[in-house]
Amino acid sequence: MKRAAAMALLALAVCGCASQSVSIRSLPSEHPAAQNAAAAESAAAFAAAVATANAAAGETGGGAEAAQEAPPPVTPEDAPSMYTYDPWERLNRFTYRFNARFDEALFLPVSNAYRRVPSPIRSGVHNFFGNLSEVDSVINYTLQWRLKLGVRSLGRFVINSTIGIGGLFDVAAKLKLPAAPTGLSTTLAKWGMHPGPYLVIPLLGPSTLRDGLGYLGDYATEYAVDVAKLYRGDASWGLAVVNAVDQRSNISFRYYSTGSPFEYENIRFLYVRKRLIEDEGLRAKVAKKGAKSTTQQENAAAQPAGK
Amino acid sequence: MLFGAAFAWGAEFSEQAITPPQQAITPPPAPGPAAGLADSAALRATVFGTPPQNVAPMPSRVPLTEINIALPWARPVPAVFWFDRKLRVWFSAQDKPAPLAIVISGTGSDGNNSKLSTLRGALYGAGYHVLTMPSPTFPGFIVSASSTGVAGDLMQDGHDLYAAMQQIVAHLPRKVQITEIDVLGYSLGGANAAIVKSIDAHERKLKIHRAVMIDPPVSLFASIGRLDKLFAASIGTGGDAIERLYRRLYAALANLYRASDRVEIDEDFILGAAAAALKTDAEFSAAIALSFRIDLVNVFFAGDLYAGTGVVVDPQHPPRVGDSLEETQRILRSKPFSEYFTKVFAPYYLRQRPNSTPASLIADNRLDIIGGPLRDDPDYYAQANSDDVILNQQELAWLRQTLGSKISVYDHGGHLGNIGERQQVSDMLDMLAGRWTGAAK
Repeated sequence: MKRAAAMALLALAVCGCASQSVSIRSLPSEHPAAQNAAAAESAAAFAAAVATANAAAGETGGGAEAAQEAPPPVTPEDAPSMYTYDPWERLNRFTYRFNARFDEALFLPVSNAYRRVPSPIRSGVHNFFGNLSEVDSVINYTLQWRLKLGVRSLGRFVINSTIGIGGLFDVAAKLKLPAAPTGLSTTLAKWGMHPGPYLVIPLLGPSTLRDGLGYLGDYATEYAVDVAKLYRGDASWGLAVVNAVDQRSNISFRYYSTGSPFEYENIRFLYVRKRLIEDEGLRAKVAKKGAKSTTQQENAAAQPAGK
Repeated sequence: MLFGAAFAWGAEFSEQAITPPQQAITPPPAPGPAAGLADSAALRATVFGTPPQNVAPMPSRVPLTEINIALPWARPVPAVFWFDRKLRVWFSAQDKPAPLAIVISGTGSDGNNSKLSTLRGALYGAGYHVLTMPSPTFPGFIVSASSTGVAGDLMQDGHDLYAAMQQIVAHLPRKVQITEIDVLGYSLGGANAAIVKSIDAHERKLKIHRAVMIDPPVSLFASIGRLDKLFAASIGTGGDAIERLYRRLYAALANLYRASDRVEIDEDFILGAAAAALKTDAEFSAAIALSFRIDLVNVFFAGDLYAGTGVVVDPQHPPRVGDSLEETQRILRSKPFSEYFTKVFAPYYLRQRPNSTPASLIADNRLDIIGGPLRDDPDYYAQANSDDVILNQQELAWLRQTLGSKISVYDHGGHLGNIGERQQVSDMLDMLAGRWTGAAK
């Protein structure tokens, strides 16, 4: 009886939402003062980084030895075509539309509600899941033969799991070991696998065949390692949901906020170009290995990554 | 043979006699240099906006709600625009009786972006309820709130905006107590705001008190002509100009990314890369021209679809959900504003307004159409920059002459490059509150 009543109420609510001509939704508040202070800070940090980089370049006389080791710079002719290989376009568009509707109806409202949770708790949750993913990063950095980064990830995992109380606090970042997660998709890229066709994954969003395989592999790894029995226990579904909500609440993207009929094309274009540029970076790092010490670059990378 | 020729000639002749003489629609003239009054500093300010350390004091917290509203006069929603069924606006309420400031976004922009966030913060901090609305040239507005679907006509857009505002204000939560309504807007939104006030002066449905225009254009088509020139000068013309720009950008980003030793490309990287990659005036110009072109592609597509002008959309077979639009987008990317005017806007409005000519359409889209009220009514205000990309000397002089002491002209800022800056905000608040006594010496 109670259940029937609840169902009826839910049905009414759903119908009501659908037929309403006006809906008012409250969003997380804005904090312009704090936001602006943060922007000022990062602008200052950026200016300082540029200044030191310029000074360093001046001192070493342009770093002639590094130039010898580094691969030739990417030229405009090297840029991939503006067209994107998308043989499954109809299916992808359907999935994109499904994702947009799912996001609007459920995912976004839930993650907006979640953002009302006090921020120390949210960052605890975020750190917790971030810490769990370090396991996958360690494995993949090893597979990529980037051992220095692998050791860094391992160090982060050990420090945060112990001093950081099970990963709730990112102590390692304060010890100048910022997070740098990686995954199987990057490993596959490192091994020379082409991204393949564009693929929109249900609920997850834009991807390519390679990155989709990467997601699957990452999940399989986590499932196989099963840290603290979190991935195979009874609570694993609940955890997966919290993880998803945490991820969503940290992404400011909103489907169709551009209002544009070309949004599918634009997102596809940007996503694939971003991944291709990241691949270029990977290739360059192979060639650059053993060249100049990376401490300076790592410091530069560490600057804004600390979230 | 001769007969045939005569027949053909006759047919041509009689056809001419039946259809009204087709005026050759020429693109609107764009006097002056490509970048209006802008110099190097102005181009940079236009791209980067106000540096955070120069931003006016902001409140620590601004509540925000999103209102989605279906408007009864909207035209049937084309399949490809299924997601734009309702008009979406953003509202921040004070918990006490307060004046309502309605802010209209600039060309092609939504009702929630960083410029509007800044203005919302400043206005909310000064005690206003704040309602931010998309530009009438934003696709979401064109689909959900336009009565024509062909955006860019000042009066038509003004009427649509005014009607939408009435509906929204009527549906605000009951507990919100409004003491008076003021409108403001930036760029094209500034012109829209003044037009809305002038319409309200006759209809008195919202009893709008004051209007503030931030960096408005004076002649819509002269301004967009300047942007076309800017595009041609910095990016080039023809189908492969965009491709060349893309290749340059790709290479620049890839090299910066390699050098940065970052693991992932994120927002910080993009912002940093923009700062590092943009060096010359031509590059800054290209960035400005490209951002306007991306907006134009949407306006052009929607206009062509609604007006049935058939430039890229076959009126008989409009695209369906799931159809690829890549080719359409590629074609539209190489089309300038002037082509939107000659192939969509003018044909549509010439048909709607029997006595109009292309020249009259251009004249109707100048702020002169409300020159009288701008001059005589003490409740219209403006802010402008003397190095604005979209203005020329005569237009700036016209603004100064017409608005007299009700305008504040700043030396620097380019187009919108000083929104949120301390002086701009304090002057804007003075204007809205009726405290403005002329530019401080």
